[in-house]
Amino acid sequence: MKRLQNLNTNIGTTTATVLNIQRMSTEDGPGLRTTVFFKGCGLRCAWCHNPESISPYPEVQWLEARCIGCGTCVKACPLGAVAADGRGIHIDRSLCDGCGACARECPATAMELLGEEWSMDRLVAEVVKDRSYILNSDGGGITASGGDPLVQAPFVAEFFRRCREEGFHTALDTCGFIGTPSLERVMPHTDLVLFDLKLSDGAGHKLHTGHSNSKILENLVHVRDYIESHERPELWIRTPVIPGATDTEENIAALAHVIEGLLNGAVSRWELCAFNNLCRDKYRRLGIEWEYRDAQLLDAALMERLANVARDSVTRPEIVRWSGATAGEQAAGDGQREKKTAATHLVKGCG
Amino acid sequence: MESTALKFQIKEPKGLSPRIAWLRDYYFSGVDRAWNNEFTPWTTGTPWDVQYDEISFYIVPETYPFLQTFRSSMHQLARPVKLDPAFWSWTLQERRAWFVREVMVNHVPQELLPGDLVAGSRFNLQASRCWTKNEAAARDRLIYGKKGARAFMKWFHDHGYGNAGATSGHLIPGYERALTAGWKGIHEDLKAHYEALGESDRKGEKGAQLRAMMTAATMPRDLAAKYASLCRRLAQKEITPSRREELAQMAANLDRVPWEPATNFWEAVQSLWITHMLVMSDENYPGPGVSFGRLDQYLFPYWERSISGGMDREFGKEILKCFWIHANTAYDAMIRVGGNQGITAGFGQLFNLSGMGPGGRDMTNELTYALLEVIDEMTPILEPKPNVRLHANTPDKLLDKVIDMISSSQGAPFLLNFDERSMAGMMREAGSAGVESLITAENVYDYASVGCLENTMVGNDRSGTVDCNLNLLKAVELAFTGGKDLVPVIDFMSGKPGKITQDGPATGDATKFRTWEEFWNAYVIQTRFLVKKCVELYEASERVRAEFSPTPYLSTLVKGCAQKALDVTRGGPELNFVTIEGVTFGTTVDSLLAVKYLVFDKKECTMAQLIQALRDNWQGHDVLQAKAKYRAPKYGRDDDEADALATKVMDLWTAETWKYRTISTGRQFRPGMLSWNYWVGDGYVLAASPDGRPKGQFLSNAICPSNGADTNGPTANANSVGKAMGGRAADGKGDWKDYLSSLPNGASHTITFNPSLLRDPEHRGKFKAFIKGYIANGGSALQVNMIDADMLREAQKHPQNYRHLLVRITGYNAYFTSIGRELQDEIIARESHNKY
Repeated sequence: MKRLQNLNTNIGTTTATVLNIQRMSTEDGPGLRTTVFFKGCGLRCAWCHNPESISPYPEVQWLEARCIGCGTCVKACPLGAVAADGRGIHIDRSLCDGCGACARECPATAMELLGEEWSMDRLVAEVVKDRSYILNSDGGGITASGGDPLVQAPFVAEFFRRCREEGFHTALDTCGFIGTPSLERVMPHTDLVLFDLKLSDGAGHKLHTGHSNSKILENLVHVRDYIESHERPELWIRTPVIPGATDTEENIAALAHVIEGLLNGAVSRWELCAFNNLCRDKYRRLGIEWEYRDAQLLDAALMERLANVARDSVTRPEIVRWSGATAGEQAAGDGQREKKTAATHLVKGCG
Repeated sequence: MESTALKFQIKEPKGLSPRIAWLRDYYFSGVDRAWNNEFTPWTTGTPWDVQYDEISFYIVPETYPFLQTFRSSMHQLARPVKLDPAFWSWTLQERRAWFVREVMVNHVPQELLPGDLVAGSRFNLQASRCWTKNEAAARDRLIYGKKGARAFMKWFHDHGYGNAGATSGHLIPGYERALTAGWKGIHEDLKAHYEALGESDRKGEKGAQLRAMMTAATMPRDLAAKYASLCRRLAQKEITPSRREELAQMAANLDRVPWEPATNFWEAVQSLWITHMLVMSDENYPGPGVSFGRLDQYLFPYWERSISGGMDREFGKEILKCFWIHANTAYDAMIRVGGNQGITAGFGQLFNLSGMGPGGRDMTNELTYALLEVIDEMTPILEPKPNVRLHANTPDKLLDKVIDMISSSQGAPFLLNFDERSMAGMMREAGSAGVESLITAENVYDYASVGCLENTMVGNDRSGTVDCNLNLLKAVELAFTGGKDLVPVIDFMSGKPGKITQDGPATGDATKFRTWEEFWNAYVIQTRFLVKKCVELYEASERVRAEFSPTPYLSTLVKGCAQKALDVTRGGPELNFVTIEGVTFGTTVDSLLAVKYLVFDKKECTMAQLIQALRDNWQGHDVLQAKAKYRAPKYGRDDDEADALATKVMDLWTAETWKYRTISTGRQFRPGMLSWNYWVGDGYVLAASPDGRPKGQFLSNAICPSNGADTNGPTANANSVGKAMGGRAADGKGDWKDYLSSLPNGASHTITFNPSLLRDPEHRGKFKAFIKGYIANGGSALQVNMIDADMLREAQKHPQNYRHLLVRITGYNAYFTSIGRELQDEIIARESHNKY
């Protein structure tokens, strides 16, 4: 019951459940950006890099490295969902309702509430703090990411409207698995859509993400039509390259076919994002078994090969980029030598 | 053969000619060199003679146990100099001017390394202080004993207040004048001043001072003559025609400069070097902070003339690279100290590049770029240290070059200075010190930086930029106890705890305070005490230097000294300041925020409980310590409420600082923020602090947030720093345009980024936006580090492979492998924190 109430408050335009705000983000669109990570996503991608963003509800996690073992959280929990033993703190997810009492009491911030209520005014005030940096960058602005920010579409639409009023470029980072009206609501206030396209094959898509890609493709067509009639927003496609799921030449060629055939030149950038295994800890903290736990980083050579497949299959090969951490020390990206790419706190956008 | 391969690429020098490659390699062979520039001590031959002036080292706590040893050893080793028969009839400044000239010209050998294009090699001296028996005894009375300067300085440091002492270097001499007027012009000017004196003045102190300065002004001429004949001798023996020609040209150059005005680029660089190195000889100080000012501006006319006269651009750079090698030989002073040939950290013979000119015009020129190429090709090397001045109208071409260089090094091979905020500080200084006629809206853009980032005017300004280093945090401790040390000082020899006494004002029993305001008021009173105490300590050494350690040669290069016939050490310069560098700012703000949060706002504990936890060094108070560290607000997160307290702390201590002048020399105190390495060492001296820091953990560095506190990333960090310095005036009426600055000296700010941020042109563009945003929002100076933690860990494991890995700490460069393990760990922790 409590959860439903929480959710109901989140579909309005006054407050949103926000997972994190990352300032000086360099990986979520052009220029320097402040990225707001909204909670909640309709897909269940097996490789998800931000499992804490999937549920629309607040959740708590225990950060072992910060814990001083005082047991305050155990006493603080009104539902008896937190227990301690010699090995650490255990959260009974079937009892926990995400009220955050443990996180509020924890002296060491080892109990962390994922998903905080932010009012519109407070969020706008927060993102304008970096105006001097953002507006000095080429195309910089604000990115709504997640989760899928469209789960909280009414808020995001109004948030984007306010951001543009402040002179900021807006980018929507979505997996596209959402009712079309939500998308329609946000599109008029959006300058760039970062659209995830993972697998071309519907059955494979269902197998790896829990859902077929038909709704996603439908929304993609909607974005294309919107662009055709309004000459904006810009559209970037992002494809996570996941071992054993999306990392085949066939898949990349088929996605290229979608980009060429269906999107008809509307795409200005196609990014292939190498699988990242840095989220192992996140799964452990949330008490979720992760099938990619032992998966290794991809080879730079494979990424380069897939990028070449992509380049060969589209009319404008210059739209293709690849990025992300790869096995070994050096990874080649965009034809340049580079050090392994830094992990940002949240690696959303591609996955 | 080393079995461990070099895992990470360290910036290597590139494009060096065989000449420069040889000189550079030879330089880095350190103690194995046949030639070096180690201190040589010289004596008048009296039994009471002194060479080593400990006062210059009062700001270096590492030397405290050895002050007497250095003094005695230098005296033991000193070689006698035959004195002029009239020597002892002269005044002290005349004796000293004569003695230093005599040693430099007639005793120290002149040498030239193979291929070198700039003459002027040995200059590190420990010359006799030239005291009479009475003078030596009078000075010793002021230094030694319970009430002496040394005991006061030790007390101040051991009790965690910081340190202070009248230190050499740290100014920008009027080098441009030596190039344009030549020493002949300077000498004529001194003569004119001398002749203008009345009869009695001429016989008195003023006459003595000007005579001493005239003697000093002939030193560059006489030394150049020696080097000219050396070049001729070498030319005769030289078999390679091209080198023979170079040597002949060098001799011709030295026949002219530095006595005559320079006529071309080679002469200008030659003149500049001899003029500069003799400052270090005169002060017996191997260079720290003796800075060049706007090198690309005042050398530019010579560069232009020579280029248009047919000088090959690369040859111009070759001359500069020789100059670079020379600047590094300053380190030879202590070549046998430490593990890296005595080369541990930058001495800060700083120069500025680019920056604003009249009407906000950008002053970048062709020489700016040539100098950047020299830096790029020579790096990693420590001296001279570059500082690039940026502002809103800096051209993208320069910014792109700067960022390219940052991306190919482990960090910026230079500091970045920000003109708008810096000039706001200088304008604030003009008003606060009543020197509006000397620092004006029309000349403020001609400011330049000393040492690392300490802003001053040029050629007429001594601001003692490292002379006072005050731990602001001590006032928080004294507010808890009503003016006593919280924990006793342990004598490091005997291990015995000292007595706790009422040192500061009795501000009452903190456990009885009912409101935050009461605690704040106690803190205010203790801060006033702290500043006053620092001023008193400084006076103790300032008056000694003023009376006993004149530097007549340096005085000739600082405007005001000739006009007033007063030595630079006695208040001669037109602009006379002493900078108090506020240390531990972030820790202090966080500590006050924690007291407010824990005791008054959230009532997590009582004042008595908090004080007990601090006495116990947080042992057994884990929960409270965790709340202090993790739940209390912190400076550095762009949290307006926390940053408001930072501004309040800043306003308080800077206002106190402006209240004082030195008694003996009339120098106005001014505020700045630089922590050199004190934030490391004094972390072991100062008691536990309410921000959760135990004794033994490092303090915050300069104006930086406490380590790990900047959880909202670099932009939030920079915004907090800008706010703490004053921000921008809402009504547009700032100190300079709408910019405000409480710190005329400027403040050191370091941010470490992961190299991946600069991995491609697109991302370099993003970083450029950060720099542009910093111009608008940030502080006065920024040191950018670009190192990832993995590389540093690798360097800890295999130091032999990473000898040249430079890292920057508080704007002072150091070779990573030459610094202590604790500091290495600290740098790694800092780096790992920023996942950007």
